[in-house]
Amino acid sequence: MMNRRKLEEQLVKALMIAATLVVSSSLMLILVTIVWKGLPVLTLEMLTKTPEGGYYLGKGGGILNAILGSIVVGLAAIALASLTGLPVALYLNVYLGRRSKMAVAVRFALDTLWGIPSIVYGAFGFTIMVMLGMQASLLAAIITVALLVFPITVRGMDEVLQMVPDDLKEASFALGSTNLETAGRVVMRRAFSGLLTAVLVAFGRGIGDAASVLFTAGFTDSLPHSLFGPVATLPLAIFFQLATPFPEVQARGYASALVLTAIVLAISLACRLLMAGSSRAQSK
Amino acid sequence: MGFDTRIRVKDLTVWYAGHLALNHVSVDIPDRRITAVIGPSGCGKTTFLKSLNRLIELQQEVKVAGQVLIDGEDIYGHGVEVTHLRKKVGLLLQRPQVLPMSIYENVAYGPRIHGTRNRRQLQQTVEQYLRESSLWDEVKDRLHTPASRLSIGQQQRLCLARALAVEPEVILGDEPTSALDPISAERIEQKLQELKGRYSVVLVTHSLRQAQRLADEVMFFYLGDLIEHGPADQVFHRPQFQKTKNYLSGRFIEEPKIHRELDLRQSTAQGEAIRAVGGELATVAYGEVLKILGNELTVADGLPNSLRSAGHEILEIRRLNKTDWEILVQKGTDTYAV
Repeated sequence: MMNRRKLEEQLVKALMIAATLVVSSSLMLILVTIVWKGLPVLTLEMLTKTPEGGYYLGKGGGILNAILGSIVVGLAAIALASLTGLPVALYLNVYLGRRSKMAVAVRFALDTLWGIPSIVYGAFGFTIMVMLGMQASLLAAIITVALLVFPITVRGMDEVLQMVPDDLKEASFALGSTNLETAGRVVMRRAFSGLLTAVLVAFGRGIGDAASVLFTAGFTDSLPHSLFGPVATLPLAIFFQLATPFPEVQARGYASALVLTAIVLAISLACRLLMAGSSRAQSK
Repeated sequence: MGFDTRIRVKDLTVWYAGHLALNHVSVDIPDRRITAVIGPSGCGKTTFLKSLNRLIELQQEVKVAGQVLIDGEDIYGHGVEVTHLRKKVGLLLQRPQVLPMSIYENVAYGPRIHGTRNRRQLQQTVEQYLRESSLWDEVKDRLHTPASRLSIGQQQRLCLARALAVEPEVILGDEPTSALDPISAERIEQKLQELKGRYSVVLVTHSLRQAQRLADEVMFFYLGDLIEHGPADQVFHRPQFQKTKNYLSGRFIEEPKIHRELDLRQSTAQGEAIRAVGGELATVAYGEVLKILGNELTVADGLPNSLRSAGHEILEIRRLNKTDWEILVQKGTDTYAV
């Protein structure tokens, strides 16, 4: 009896360790690949210049158009999704009760939206765009990516807000707070770092998504300058470069992937540093 | 008695999701006294308390009928501003919940949302109520550090200062000392004693000793019914109803003397457990008590009934933890073999 249980225990433990290794090593492998293939060709010129004629055939220039385009699209989309998503998450958790039917329905809808592939958002954005007579543009890309990250943002915030104890809300209400005061001054403050994490996760997803910008953003070699003109984005830049038959251009594709990863990492780190700084300032 | 009624509860009935939690409770709560609310878990104590500031309405599918009059005004009436009501009624929870901000901000929060903007006035208020809850000397040099860094006892005093800072008339306490160490608990008790000179205090407590130390009035709830209420002395020493007597004596009688113990926690079959208990009971004298430890399958389910039908008396069935149960059986004088 005991032996069988012990064996079970060890077997499961071994499987868990194996699974952890597989997952973490594939993450390492991805990072190593883009660094190994991309870093040697990553030059200052690539980061600071727009493509010159023949860039995709191996001539000079850089991907500044796509870097700026992605940052603008990513930040604007996440701002839009957060500004509309935060009220939804607060409404679910402060105004509606734990087991409210409305809250269950909204969460179900958001989970469904989360599961929809991004190409569908792209196609949806494209349809709307065509209906409105718009062309592929920065604005269309921002709206489509915002739609894509909206459920991720809201559900992420929602999970965080659900962790705020009911007793804390009661304590706030017991002092005579309104729902708004409880949500804004107590619940949000308590959950602040978690809310920020939710936004960062959604940002990472949004800035890296290719399918949603495929039809809606268009592509251009110039820097983003108008909401209504096309905009270059990193995922598409990576795609175009990797799709060429030239090894040196493909290598630039890997370098672009490295840049994209670095942007996500940098923004995440910056937020964390800011947060640590502000909590230190608060605790002085 | 020379004290005015502060809160008058008339026919208060509360349902949670169709289940009756409070059953037609009517009672007058006097001003400037401590009223202790006692009773076993799930008896409706907390429901009663939270219906005095309408916090009960935050629960799902709750229905409230009847009236609660504070200073003659029905708090469930039309046009009652619930934020106003809650300003009048302060609450201390079982576990202190400090707001996620500094010590200073915790106390200033209430006055601020109720319209005090003047900095100097806020500073005065904060100092006054921190002194009032005997926290000032401990925190005056770190007013702007996060309140979450205080010890749990200090946090509860901060919660008291925070509650007092909105100048309530009634203080509700939901077992406010049960999560605290004995010294912190005593300080809170002292504070409540002092506060009753100016407020009416309603205190839910699990501790009969605490109720005896503090209460002027006692309310005893059982399964949603208000069984008995009156002056503390009368309820504790001359209870009128059998249920009150049982509850009070259940705590004050010595624990039954256990003559033998039987550990069936390793046993897996119910039949085997029943036979083991039968065998063990055969070795004790009539009237003696056997303590049985076991799991849900072997002990809690079925065994008590078969013991009862064999003429033994079950004194207690208690869940000890996730898997283990404890049963106290007194051997009956007129038994058959199990």
